[in-house]
Amino acid sequence: MSVKYTPVQWNRNKWLYDGVMLAGVGAFLWIFLYVTPEVLSHERAVNPQIHNARAFGACAFVMLTVILCIGPAARLDPRFLPLLYNRRHFGVMTAFVALTHASYILNWYFNFSSSDKYVALLYANSSFGQVAGFPFELFGIFALVCLLILATTSHDFWLKFLTPPVWKRLHYLIYAAYFSVVAHVSLGILQDQRNQVFTIIFISGAAAVIVLHLAAWWAERGRSIAAKDGAWVEVARPSEMTEGRARIARLTNGDRVAVFLMEGKLSAISNACAHQNGPLGEGRIIDCLVTCPWHGFQYDVRTGRSPAPFTEMVPTYRIRIHNGMIEVHPDANPPGTPVTPVPLPAAQRSKEGALA
Amino acid sequence: MDVAQAILVVIQAWGIFGALTAAVFLTVGIERVDEDAQGAYVFRPLLIPGVMLIWPLVLWRWWRIESQRAGWAERYKPVRGAHGAAALLMSLGIIAIIVTGLSVRQEWPGDTAPVQLSDGASQ
Amino acid sequence: MSEKPFFVGYLPVPGPFRTFLVVLSVLLVAGLGTAGFLMGAAQDDPGPGAFRFDYGRQTVTGVVALTPYPLIHVTQGNDRIKPGDTFMMTAGGKSGVDSRAIPLDGQLAQVSGIILERGELYMLQVRGGQNGLRAAEGDVPAIAVEPQGRWQLTGEICDGKCLAGAMRPGRGLAHKACANLCLLGDVPPVFVSSQPVLGSEFLLVTGPGGTRLPRTAYDYVAQFITAEGNVTRHGDLLVWEIEPDTIEVVQ
Repeated sequence: MSVKYTPVQWNRNKWLYDGVMLAGVGAFLWIFLYVTPEVLSHERAVNPQIHNARAFGACAFVMLTVILCIGPAARLDPRFLPLLYNRRHFGVMTAFVALTHASYILNWYFNFSSSDKYVALLYANSSFGQVAGFPFELFGIFALVCLLILATTSHDFWLKFLTPPVWKRLHYLIYAAYFSVVAHVSLGILQDQRNQVFTIIFISGAAAVIVLHLAAWWAERGRSIAAKDGAWVEVARPSEMTEGRARIARLTNGDRVAVFLMEGKLSAISNACAHQNGPLGEGRIIDCLVTCPWHGFQYDVRTGRSPAPFTEMVPTYRIRIHNGMIEVHPDANPPGTPVTPVPLPAAQRSKEGALA
Repeated sequence: MDVAQAILVVIQAWGIFGALTAAVFLTVGIERVDEDAQGAYVFRPLLIPGVMLIWPLVLWRWWRIESQRAGWAERYKPVRGAHGAAALLMSLGIIAIIVTGLSVRQEWPGDTAPVQLSDGASQ
Repeated sequence: MSEKPFFVGYLPVPGPFRTFLVVLSVLLVAGLGTAGFLMGAAQDDPGPGAFRFDYGRQTVTGVVALTPYPLIHVTQGNDRIKPGDTFMMTAGGKSGVDSRAIPLDGQLAQVSGIILERGELYMLQVRGGQNGLRAAEGDVPAIAVEPQGRWQLTGEICDGKCLAGAMRPGRGLAHKACANLCLLGDVPPVFVSSQPVLGSEFLLVTGPGGTRLPRTAYDYVAQFITAEGNVTRHGDLLVWEIEPDTIEVVQ
């Protein structure tokens, strides 16, 4: 950001997003906590503390499953991108729900003994050498710590301060956390549960996460890699360009360049948004500004600079048309370096005009 | 139990170092490393838990920025490559742990009768 | 590709996206609600154990015997607890009454507390200090301990208190750490047998030769196991001296 930081930047869509997610979480918890006890025909009810712990634990698992499905779903179908937009708020909600689960457990199963409850949590079960009976609480603790790190570093300040690559790496902890939650459930409640409905829901949730991730990974494997021709790298033929859109080229060093056609002229900027390294080349040009598909950060395609008062900048690239191919030079210019746009050949422009 | 207590001491020490880091970073450091934080105070308490959790990373970044070791290019290298590997590892791990969990799951041995190995008088 | 709508977070949502998102939102809320219902309604019956506050406070007199877990052989009962009954005791929270019972070993004592009951299993959560357990005057009858032979039993080691109703559910692997914590606090361990042994589904379980449940057995708490050991009858309560070397997890 380039204006002063605020605790949370709200807008209408974020309110709607949070409203829907809160409604979902509220529905889950309310039904689990207050409706299902009426349905269960047990001679004596499950202890309220255990019932509450289960409600919040199950809710955190389902929330985490939804969160992990959003990313690959958005990569497979851009219509899911709005779910990605404010996913951080949902993540913070999940951390709070998981924390509530943990505190119910801690204050029930690990309380009332002569030991401190935190000490008890760590030493009561020391059967580390076995699978069944393993202190599965440890997986839960690890997942909770991960969720807390992710939630507490979700403010945009952290992105800028840590840099997006470091921040993203840190937030890869979500994968470790999800595995850990699955392990926590598999070696915990799954061992006791006799009603298979729970088992089916649990396995279906985990399977959905796996299938979506593998599908998205598979779909992206074949994306284009720019061919190398001397120092310059070929991106596309002029005829392949669309007004207001980009072609993305992967350089041999792994960086990606987004080549945009705006008002009949070509410009090249880094494909990585300064905010979260979102794919700028999958964005659009709105009001002469490249707009990131993830969170709507904008840049002037000719300079790589955000419009005032914002100060974000992305690297630009030199561009040329050589032997009928659009080429970029793989050495990036420092962020915000203006590059004169290259006009498309006249023949190509008239074709564009005819198409329009 | 001693190990458990030692772990808790380490966690407490981590928290204390984190709180000290937060106190210094959020009053002095943050304005030096990020001009957007100058004059912005309301959001700073929100950062306290984060600093307490990952204070070594905070100190490392702070040092990188102060000593101007941070090149601009490192901001623009998305970590796409690791993404597939992370997702794959997670998927394999999930499958392995669920299969393991189901394989050790026990059914109540209600069909197994107690067996008397010797009678009381023989003891 | 050219005419696909494009979502920008801070701008109004494009028309075609709007319908999709409304449908998605409804599905999400309904899906979460349904998941909450299914997962909540799938909970297993936690069993009939409970604190019987409705019985009121019970005060009886009996002989204290250490197995080493302290038992009371009732000599003077009341409406609910009859002379000849034998029961286990626990203090409040995850603690036993050892420190109070050991000085009274073999003596007559008055105990007072609340019953925890699960079917035929019951124990008394005694009140704090002297109010819960104190020496009483009177003749001390001899308590017969009858050997019942060596048995191979199949079932689960639990902590007697949670099993009897302090927690619902009070057994199983999700509850294992809590059970261990109770056992570490000297709450008497109870074995739930797969089928009744000499008429009893529940047995107090100790180590061999009148020792505490050995720490090696803690690894098997809450798992379904089979093991061997001598069974003795103390009053109307069976005590199983489990031999840790013989413990095997049921496949």
